[in-house]
Amino acid sequence: MSTKSIGQEFTKGLWDENPVFRQLLGLCPTLAVTNAVINGLAMGMATSFVLIFSSLVVSSIKKFIPSQVRIASYVVIIATFVTVADRFLAAFFPPISKSLGPYVPLIVVNCIILGRQEAFSSKNTVGRSLIDALGMSSGFVLAMLILSAIREILGMGTFLGYQVMGQWFEPWIIMILPPGAFITLGILLALALQIERKTKSRK
Amino acid sequence: MKLSTQMVVVLTSVGLLSGSFLAIVGHLTKERIALNKQRETEKAIIQVVPGIVSSQKLYEERDLSVYGGKDAEGNIVGFAIQASGIGFQDKITLMLGTNTSLKKINRLAILDQKETPGLGAKIADSEFFLLYWENKDSSGTITLHKPAVSSPEELLPTEVNTITGATISSEAVLSIVNTSLEQVRKIIKEGKLSSEAQDVN
Repeated sequence: MSTKSIGQEFTKGLWDENPVFRQLLGLCPTLAVTNAVINGLAMGMATSFVLIFSSLVVSSIKKFIPSQVRIASYVVIIATFVTVADRFLAAFFPPISKSLGPYVPLIVVNCIILGRQEAFSSKNTVGRSLIDALGMSSGFVLAMLILSAIREILGMGTFLGYQVMGQWFEPWIIMILPPGAFITLGILLALALQIERKTKSRK
Repeated sequence: MKLSTQMVVVLTSVGLLSGSFLAIVGHLTKERIALNKQRETEKAIIQVVPGIVSSQKLYEERDLSVYGGKDAEGNIVGFAIQASGIGFQDKITLMLGTNTSLKKINRLAILDQKETPGLGAKIADSEFFLLYWENKDSSGTITLHKPAVSSPEELLPTEVNTITGATISSEAVLSIVNTSLEQVRKIIKEGKLSSEAQDVN
């Protein structure tokens, strides 16, 4: 059982245990779909939806699930919500659904979600699991937003499709290609580690 | 309850509940998704065959459909060919608008593609690629102009532009267009198009 205060339960997902920058989880979608802010945001939202609802369901039925079949049960529950998210996007936001392509169905194997079920929801109350899922989701959306903003601005000179760089700016095509994702993520991870070190030594 | 029984019961009920929930969601979204797709196809047909008010499907096979574009009097004034083929990453689906003799390409539209964002994905961009496909002579084979030019006037009537850095995607589109035109010509020759279209050929 977690002994943190409710506030801490939420904020740990934003920084101390940020799924992307601190735990390095869910890197496949993080690297793949952050080539444009709209894609990064949509992916963040879809993942959040799945994470929040899976955590709610898993934490409320945890008593009935024998530990031998817990992973199988979690995967079925997660896959259900992923399919809901996929169908919803296809029905109401077809352009976003198209640009995310196979990455929405792939949320099933996003380790942030399975990881939170195994590490948190299966051991904590429904309320705490919800707070934890909200915190982790916000942390993930934040990471997607930072990464996709850097890549879109440098790679296309736009933010959410609006031109933000002047005429003089020559887009760095590499930033919206896979190498750009690795470079950006690497620099951000180094930064996060540096900030963490600085704040620790001050304490 | 014995552990093994409990495991079976839990997994079965989780599966059943998820399945029924998904059946409901699928039922609720099915129509809308089909409608989105249909609307997209109709929009593309009207976009690639100028001056038409309605369209009709004349032929369908795997990866190839032919639609007839009709003017206000119901005469077929052009064909819209929907064709798919392999691109750099995944299948590319496009819509090609031609006149009734298949000798002139009016316009091209990309319906579905998963090419590299920022490079190959520009095949769906009018300014970079599709603009260079307007009003082309398709009586023979269309060829790609390399290196890329910056205005449609620099191309021959049988040439289309390349996207710098995405030659494979450009070639893939070209090959889908050439192959599908060939196929449609054969279909028309064999008289396989819906009867209504016959008299215009």
